[in-house]
Amino acid sequence: MSNFDEHTLANLEKLCRIRCTPEEKKELLLSMGKILDYMHQLNEIDTSNVSACNYVLQEMAGTELREDEIGDVLSREQFLANAPDQIGGMIRVPPVIKIP
Amino acid sequence: MTKKLHHLSALELNRAFIEGQIRAVDIAAYFLDRIQIHNPKLGAFLSILAERALIQAEAIDLKRSQNKPLGRLAGVPIAIKDNMHILNEITTCGSKFLKNYRAPFDATAVHLMEQEDALILGKTNLDEFAMGSSNENSAFFPAHNPWNVKCVPGGSSGGSAAAIGARLSLLATGSDTGGSIRQPAGLCGVVGFKPTYGRVSRFGLVAFGSSLDQIGPITTTVADAALAMEVIGRHCPQDSTSLTLPPESYLDTLNNTNLSEITFGVPWHFLENLAPESRTNFSNSLDVLKGLGAKIIDIDLDICKYAIAIYYILATAEASTNLARFDGIRYGERSSQAKILDDVYELSREEGFGAEVKKRVMLGTYVLSSGYQDAYYKKAQKVRTLVIRSFERAYDRCDAVLLPVSPSTAFPLHSIHDPIQMYMQDIFTIPANLAGLPAISVPSGFDNNGLPFGLQFIGPQMHDVPVMQYAHAYEMATLYTRKIAPAFEGT
Repeated sequence: MSNFDEHTLANLEKLCRIRCTPEEKKELLLSMGKILDYMHQLNEIDTSNVSACNYVLQEMAGTELREDEIGDVLSREQFLANAPDQIGGMIRVPPVIKIP
Repeated sequence: MTKKLHHLSALELNRAFIEGQIRAVDIAAYFLDRIQIHNPKLGAFLSILAERALIQAEAIDLKRSQNKPLGRLAGVPIAIKDNMHILNEITTCGSKFLKNYRAPFDATAVHLMEQEDALILGKTNLDEFAMGSSNENSAFFPAHNPWNVKCVPGGSSGGSAAAIGARLSLLATGSDTGGSIRQPAGLCGVVGFKPTYGRVSRFGLVAFGSSLDQIGPITTTVADAALAMEVIGRHCPQDSTSLTLPPESYLDTLNNTNLSEITFGVPWHFLENLAPESRTNFSNSLDVLKGLGAKIIDIDLDICKYAIAIYYILATAEASTNLARFDGIRYGERSSQAKILDDVYELSREEGFGAEVKKRVMLGTYVLSSGYQDAYYKKAQKVRTLVIRSFERAYDRCDAVLLPVSPSTAFPLHSIHDPIQMYMQDIFTIPANLAGLPAISVPSGFDNNGLPFGLQFIGPQMHDVPVMQYAHAYEMATLYTRKIAPAFEGT
């Protein structure tokens, strides 16, 4: 049985940078353990001599990434058009350091 | 035109347009009218691009009047799943996080279709970030099934399948990570094709599970899916997983198969818990194929009973990394409550993501986290290898595998609350994603309530063309694709 408790959930919220509402937490505590338990059925299978699937298609196994090239990129204006906040042609964010 | 436009296939409508029987502006206006009338009860479209479609239609009419060469999709109305970019249009991904995001470029698949003179009508509803099997996870409103609007259309490409089922468009795009093209196509009584992994460029598709995602068409006939694949099944240098193969000829070869030379494999043991009505429908389909001369053999795909467990480890792991980019900094919604940088991340993601997306990001983070990675992620990657090998062994004995599309027909909205039960809806579609295989869902009849069943043909990697040939032979023998949901048959 998975020991998925409030402490695990709080830790995951931190790792995922997601806060959950009280209702969501209640639901997650109910369902996450159940889903993880379901996943445990994979332990029925002996995989001691099996390699992990790193490529879905064998054709891709030998594929080398191409050299980096400068191509069409977004202009500053195009990029900033979707930014939630901007100032002087740059993205504005709230303070990174909290001043005590 | 003697027939109503929405009773035609995309190929027939394209032919009528090329022959001068109808103008593109009339086609666009006709389908935009249908969307206006029917979308309120179906929720298939999230945005309707009426002005764009009419401008495009005028341009195509002008081209025709000047005797300029016309594209393969000239005059064909198309709906785009709202997780694919259309330059300067909103891509919401069914999420509040991207409700105002305007795409700065075209997805390759969209670009290729527009280049061939398609008329893009709008963007279709989906489960948020394509995570779901019912379309109930859309942040805006659920889509409904054209055969019974109290039922789900399936997901995640539920809006696209509902739009085609109700003939609000004749061609739609979907994306399939664990069945998101084939399952909704099956539940809505239309054709859905998931190509071999890498066959269609993923450039401009908002990523969910990158090793599983594949774009494909949802159409009213197999021939229309073949037409769509000839347009979008091309190598794309902007997607590193795009196959470097020459484009294939799908349409001209559709009739080039003689099923008496074909052997289909059925994994009976894997299907042992299939519900009686679904089993009867599936057996009837096998009888049709046998009647066409095909040989049916029993194969072993028992490993596929683990498909859901593998999938919900790998897909969530990949999703948790892919969705890390939604941080409220560069694009998407930023929480107005954020006072410091950490708040921007945490509050924006809290407010922007829905419950299922949060759950999957958390699951993915959990299975990748230190101490758990070997037990979950690496284990699942190994079992995935076994799934691929099992299919390879099966294809030594047969040309394609047959499976139902779903365990049942469409279920009522809000009727499934248990997550595992919902995930089980994809038990027959996920294996093809895990092994990167081409698979097609074709309508195969109706249950006692008049809801459609679907049959799935799954071929070896790269055998996209034969898979379509088998499905076409089955379609021609049954003609289920000619049935339109009664409520949408008329005006």
